[in-house]
Amino acid sequence: MSEQMNDTLGVKRQPPPHFSFSEPYWEATREGRLVIQYCRKSGQYQFYPRPVSVFTGSRDLEWREVSGRGVVFTYTVANMARPPFAGHTPFLVAAITLDEGVNVIGNLINCPLDKAAIGMRVRKTWAPLPDGTNLLMFEPDE
Amino acid sequence: MALRDNAIIGFAETKIEARAGRHVWELGGEVLESLIASTGTEKAEIDGMLINASISGAGNCFWSQTTAEFLGLELDFCQTVDIGGSSAVGAVARAAAALDAGLCTTILLLNIDTQATDQATLNMRSFHDEWQYPQGLLGGPADFGLLSRRYDHLYGLDVEALGKLAVTQRNHALLNDNACEKLRKPITVEDYLNSRMIADPIRLLDCVMTCDGGNGLLMTTRKRAKEKGLDNFAVPLGYGERTNYRANENLTDITETGHCIAGQKAFAQAGLKPQDMGSYQPYDDFLIAVMIKLEMLGFAKRGQGAAFIKEHNLAHDGDLPINTGGGQISAGQPGLAGGGVNLIEGVRQVFGKGGARQVKNREYALVTGIGGLRYVRNWNTSTALILGAEG
Repeated sequence: MSEQMNDTLGVKRQPPPHFSFSEPYWEATREGRLVIQYCRKSGQYQFYPRPVSVFTGSRDLEWREVSGRGVVFTYTVANMARPPFAGHTPFLVAAITLDEGVNVIGNLINCPLDKAAIGMRVRKTWAPLPDGTNLLMFEPDE
Repeated sequence: MALRDNAIIGFAETKIEARAGRHVWELGGEVLESLIASTGTEKAEIDGMLINASISGAGNCFWSQTTAEFLGLELDFCQTVDIGGSSAVGAVARAAAALDAGLCTTILLLNIDTQATDQATLNMRSFHDEWQYPQGLLGGPADFGLLSRRYDHLYGLDVEALGKLAVTQRNHALLNDNACEKLRKPITVEDYLNSRMIADPIRLLDCVMTCDGGNGLLMTTRKRAKEKGLDNFAVPLGYGERTNYRANENLTDITETGHCIAGQKAFAQAGLKPQDMGSYQPYDDFLIAVMIKLEMLGFAKRGQGAAFIKEHNLAHDGDLPINTGGGQISAGQPGLAGGGVNLIEGVRQVFGKGGARQVKNREYALVTGIGGLRYVRNWNTSTALILGAEG
């Protein structure tokens, strides 16, 4: 029998603090768009947002919208959690390799435990935050 | 002057306690007093100090100088080492560099933390608050859950081998009077396998328990140690360190760590091989870190760490004694002084002061450090230190 996982959609989260150089990411989430930094010089994306390109040290970075589709790189089950996540366990947290070639951490929702697998295709989904921004999550891409 | 021209002339350690109920500097005082007594050193001879950035001291931007003030130390060199669980091992190389450069002549290496008593949480100005905690990925066990699942995918995760490691380290803690009393109870492989899941596949008995404690070393030049008439000390023979391994690559293998670089460097500098080590004292926040480092440091091929664990006797009287004091997993993790637990045990074995758990071959010991956890990576800083016996 498949173990049903909880999700964390009901967790009462405060909006996370933003670094100045990650503001464009959060602003785009208000419209449900996923944007990540792109280094023009090396032709590579990077995540999480940095003040410089981790490839060249240059500040010549642009924000590009990406599809939010990718595969599960690895995952774990949160069997225990402190507030505000206490009472919401077990839930799945995964690292997703986006098709653009970066790893991103997010909750994996709408996915029973026996379905979760490394290599599984996933797509982005959003969980609203109280300040109007959205938190990135993933679900099976079927 | 070189790394090996320096000497560790004394070691000290408080008992590790689930909750000490004492101020962190009281533990520092206990370590200082013990080092002065065991090495026949006058306090006034100590003219240098390195201290770990502790969780209980977090927020004090004057941490090293304030600690020196409270301990009554007048110094020519004073510095906090802030590479997390790598700080204790990293301090040995930094102390040697300071001695080589003539910045000081006798240096205290102090590691203290009372994270449990202070109920202090790690104050990290990092990516966690923005990119990790909102997702419910709440700390070390979850990070190691991600790492372990990936290892399982690539090589298969042999939990029986991890269970053997858990039992071996626990048996060592039973022989260690400084180990946390709460942890000094025998366990079996079944106990390990049946311990509850924290962050599947990480079980409770994969993890360290947060404790209070302190430890330290006293170092000087080898020349000065001999002039003092000391005839038993430990010499740092090889050292390697790597922070943010493959920092400028996106999709790295998270089961490969900076220890492959740090280990190569340490062995090359020492002119030794893994097979020469009389004991191995790896930093153990989680059991799988011990196994992965066997692969990174050249004891076993990639993916063969579990086979190595099963094929070898890892007890103090075995062919490769591992974490002979119980490691942090079975002796307790005194916050960010935790790296000193593995380091002090390595020094103790090289001194031949292991008592009931003394290893047969005290000539060389390998100690490692792990500092900080990264975003979909393994850890920030990897350190490896080879110690040799002299006298």
